Amino acid sequence: MLDLRRWRDKNELKSGLALLAVGTAIGVYQTNGAPINEAFQFLAKPFHLGSPPEQLENAYILDLQQRVVELENQNQRLRELIDYEKNSGLDVTTPAAVIGRSADNWWQQLTVNKGSNDGVKEGDFVTGPGGLVGRITSVTPNSARVLLLSDPSSQVGAKISRTRSMGYIRGEAGSQATMQFFEKFPDAKVGDVIVTSSFSRLFPQGVPIGRIAEIDSDKSPAPEATIQLSVPVSNLEWVDIHPYTPKRDVDAAPAQIVTDDNP
Amino acid sequence: MASYRSRRSSNTLPIWNWVVTIGSVLLCLLILPVRLPGMDIVGVGPNWLLIWVVAWSIGRTSWEGVIAGITLGLLQDSLTAPFPSHILGLTIAGILTARLHQRRVLQEDLISVALLVFGLAIIVETAMALQLTAQQMFSEDPLHVSLGSIWLYHQRVALSSAILSSLWAPVLYYPLKRWWDKYRVRD
Repeated sequence: MLDLRRWRDKNELKSGLALLAVGTAIGVYQTNGAPINEAFQFLAKPFHLGSPPEQLENAYILDLQQRVVELENQNQRLRELIDYEKNSGLDVTTPAAVIGRSADNWWQQLTVNKGSNDGVKEGDFVTGPGGLVGRITSVTPNSARVLLLSDPSSQVGAKISRTRSMGYIRGEAGSQATMQFFEKFPDAKVGDVIVTSSFSRLFPQGVPIGRIAEIDSDKSPAPEATIQLSVPVSNLEWVDIHPYTPKRDVDAAPAQIVTDDNP
Repeated sequence: MASYRSRRSSNTLPIWNWVVTIGSVLLCLLILPVRLPGMDIVGVGPNWLLIWVVAWSIGRTSWEGVIAGITLGLLQDSLTAPFPSHILGLTIAGILTARLHQRRVLQEDLISVALLVFGLAIIVETAMALQLTAQQMFSEDPLHVSLGSIWLYHQRVALSSAILSSLWAPVLYYPLKRWWDKYRVRD
C-alpha cells in the first residue's frame, strides 16, 4: 500500500506532465499546426519586407504581355458568345512571399505569407513566374501551405498545348515531372508546352506547367514523357495565389461525383 | 554552500527547465521549414526534431523517450500531413536512444551522438517509407504510384537527412544536454 502510494507520489507529476505534453501536441495537431505556422510567419516577417519585385521592364516582354492580354480578351469574348465558360478564374490574384519550405523530407510544400485575412482559402491554386506551382492545402489567418506540383502525390490532368494530346502528370520531388499519355501514339515531341487539361479537377484548364524534355515511347501501357517544370521551384521567392474552387470533393464516392457534375 | 546551491537550483529548476525545454522544441519546429545555406542537400534539411528526441532520451527512461517521440511526432504531423505519420519513427528513436544509453552501449560524447543520429535518421526515414509502402500495397488510392519510386526517393532522403542531421546534431545536443545535466532533478 505504502509502495503504491509512494509510486503515485513520485510519478504523479511526471505522468501529469506527459499527459499535458501529448495533449498540447494533439491540440496543435487538430488545428493543423496553426499556432506554429502563425509564429513562424510572425518571426519570418522582418526578413520578407517589401513588395513584389518589379516586372522586368523589357520592351519585348511588355509587348508580348499586351498581346497576350488582347488575345485573352478576344478569347473571353468568343467564349462568352458560345457560352463556353464564363469565368477564367484568373481575375483576382494575391501576390505572396515564400517564407518556408516543407517541414519534413517526404512532402514538397511551401509556406507563404498570405492567409485567410487576405482572402486566401483552401483549394486556391498558386502560380509562379512561368506557370503552375501547386495548390493551397491549409490556411491560417496570416499564412498558407502550398502543396507543390512536384510532390509525388500531386496528379494533374494535362494536355499538350499544340496537339491537345491528353495525359496526366505526376511530380517527382524535383524540377521534373512525369507525364503519362492516355493514347498509345500521342502526337508529342520534345519542347512541346504542357498545360492543365479540362480533366484536372483541382486546377482550371489552360495553366502552363512546363515543356517536354524527353519522351519514352517504349513505356507500357502508354508512353511517358519527362516534363521540365517551367517554375524554378527550388529557388522560388514570390508566387501568385488565384482564387479557385475545385470542381468536386476529391474524397467523394464516384456516384456522387457523377450526380454533382450532372445535376 | 552546497546545501544553499542545491536548494536554490531546486527552487529555480522547474519553471526555467520547462521554459528551456519547451522553448527548444518551438525553436526546432520553427527551424524545420527554413532552408539556410549549408542546411540542405538536394532540398533535404536536417531532422531537428530527431536530434531533440535523441538529446532528450539520453539519460532518461524509455517511457520518457516514447512520450517525447509521440509529442514531437504529432507536432511535425501537424506541420505536414497526418499520413505518413512521424510518430512511429520518432518513438522508435526515443526508445532506442534510452535503451542504448541504459545498457552503456552509447557514450555521451559528441561523436557517439552524431553517429547515433546518423543511424536513427535512416531508421526514421525508413519508418516513413514503410508506411508509404504498406499504403501503396493495401490502399486503393496510394500517395505514391509505385514501390520503386518510394524506395528510390527513400535512398536520397535517408542519406542526405542522415548526413545533415548528424553534422548539425552537436549544435542542438550540446547546449540542451549541458542544461539538463545542470538542472537535473535529484530524487
